[in-house]
Amino acid sequence: MRKLIRSYTFRTVVQGLITIWAVMTFTFFLIRLMPGNPAQIKIDEYVDRYGMSEDQARQQVATLFNYDPDQPVFEQYVDYLSDLVRFDLGRSLTSTETPVAEQILRFLPWTLFSVGLALLVAFSLGVLVGLAMAYWRGGLLDNVMTVFASVIYAIPDYIIALLLIMVAGVQLKLIPVGELYGGSTQGIEPGFTVEYILDLLKHAFLPVFTYVLATIGGWMLTMKSSTISTLGEDYITVARARGLPERRLLTAYVGRNAMLPLMTRLAISIGFVVGGSAIIETLFLYPGLGRNLVLAIGLRDYTTMQGIFLVIAISVVVSNILADLLYGWLDPRVRLGGDKGTE
Amino acid sequence: MADGSVVLSVEDISITYTTQRGIVQAVSNVSFDLHAGETLALIGESGCGKSTIVLGLIGLLPKTGKITTGKVTYRRRDGRLIDVLGLNKEQMRQFLWNECSMVFQGALNSLNPVLKISSMIYDTARAHGMRADEAKKRALSLFEKVRLDPLRVFNSYPHELSGGMRQRVLLATALLLRPQVVIMDEPTTAVDILTQRSIIKVLKQLREELNFSVIFISHDLAVAAEIADTVATMYAGEIIEKGPVSEVFYRPRHAYTLGLLEAAPRLSTGAEELMSIPGSPPDLIDPPKGCKFHMRCRFVTDECKTTKPPLQASSPT
Repeated sequence: MRKLIRSYTFRTVVQGLITIWAVMTFTFFLIRLMPGNPAQIKIDEYVDRYGMSEDQARQQVATLFNYDPDQPVFEQYVDYLSDLVRFDLGRSLTSTETPVAEQILRFLPWTLFSVGLALLVAFSLGVLVGLAMAYWRGGLLDNVMTVFASVIYAIPDYIIALLLIMVAGVQLKLIPVGELYGGSTQGIEPGFTVEYILDLLKHAFLPVFTYVLATIGGWMLTMKSSTISTLGEDYITVARARGLPERRLLTAYVGRNAMLPLMTRLAISIGFVVGGSAIIETLFLYPGLGRNLVLAIGLRDYTTMQGIFLVIAISVVVSNILADLLYGWLDPRVRLGGDKGTE
Repeated sequence: MADGSVVLSVEDISITYTTQRGIVQAVSNVSFDLHAGETLALIGESGCGKSTIVLGLIGLLPKTGKITTGKVTYRRRDGRLIDVLGLNKEQMRQFLWNECSMVFQGALNSLNPVLKISSMIYDTARAHGMRADEAKKRALSLFEKVRLDPLRVFNSYPHELSGGMRQRVLLATALLLRPQVVIMDEPTTAVDILTQRSIIKVLKQLREELNFSVIFISHDLAVAAEIADTVATMYAGEIIEKGPVSEVFYRPRHAYTLGLLEAAPRLSTGAEELMSIPGSPPDLIDPPKGCKFHMRCRFVTDECKTTKPPLQASSPT
């Protein structure tokens, strides 16, 4: 039995590594297929902005960059891989002396905080409301919330973001959008102080709110349909016949079983926490990894892009493995290494 | 039939379902008395209303179902009479399992897959104010009685048990709070014949030791004959014939009961042809006049089409 557990873990890890490698390789070549390259973009910028001649600009850029666009792509790939196995993500092509790893570490916490918080809020709220909708099916809450969920589920997140900025911020002046960009207000000392945490929440409010609105409809509708099918199960009728109080019935019998199918979805969402918010962060000027990715793509900063894509791939793979474990914890039927066995 | 005192009295109960096509008269004017220690078998084919009656008794009818007439009286051990249909939600919750428990068909789906058997026992006990240690002791002794390995089953998840084991767990759970009435809705249909035998055996033994009354719903005549004291045959929402098991099975008076008996295989009579009843049950949205069985009955007379003729003894088959 121990052998089996070991081999399962081993298989999962190997599978994960292969997935990460495949994604990494794919993005490596894909981003080089994009029109333009970092040097050319910089050269164009110098020509446009400073009126240099083409040759002058090319020389200037060559001294700045340690990137040679004429090096064969496959050689670049081998170099990249050999650096990577030494856990070296290289340096940014555009802001030359900054290591990519340092950039990621600087921007990642903002994204984890804002998108993670949003996911937590959207998931718990969506699941609770979905459960209530199914439990009192056909009631006022169900009817109102089904319409609400369907409507907001159909609106893309960037539209919600733009509406918040343009209508609530600029036209109605309900939200002081001008004060809310960035991750925190300059001059407030970072630390575990109430002031700083409140400031963080204030600045994260718009992205979090947008993300919650854009995703909560999906959670509500899936939880509702899952709960409805759970309510039809025999064990719910049996539990009711046993005279269990409603509260116990709702949590341990209906809720827990209805949530099982949502775990896969949650895992996918957790995986996309890191990279799933590029447009929203850009719109709200929030200093997260997603905004950084958009900037890097604009400048064709290959190394930064590779680094961020790698982080995204790793987080998707890891969260899927975690979901497997979590699922096993919630549903004893798929628990691994159970040695009780059936008859 | 131990002492003849009535534990559960059902008088003139009717239940309807509202459907898109119209109102279905699922149960019409059914009455029966259940005595202490008695086992009453309700037999009949699918859709005859036998499950609907018991769901009505314990207040678990689906939203579309409604009890239109009737009265159900339950007599507690201390002699107090309870009007079951008049209980409010909380009183009903307490009535269930304490006084009247139920074993459902389909043992495979009757247990919450994410909870251990022990949690299920504790949940049930806590809902009715029984202490946890007492519940555990009682459950273990009941598991022993239904021939399960008590501790192993107590700490198992449902998926770790076979169908027969789960059915016995349900049977034991039904007796946890010492109810006077246990309703069993086809408890042996989802299991194989050997498991069925062992469950029947266990049930008979438990009944002797713990002295409770049973309403046994079945379409399996052999099982009903073996376990019941009294048999009530149901057809199209009515009890058409009722009596002690020996009388109903050996001298059936209603043509439908006779048809049911002839449709069941018997060891004693050898290689006789099985006969099925022609036709199908009537539409209960628009039930026929007179005897509801007259279209399928081989003894039909003109009188049957307008009134219900009285039952007469037939020769034994």
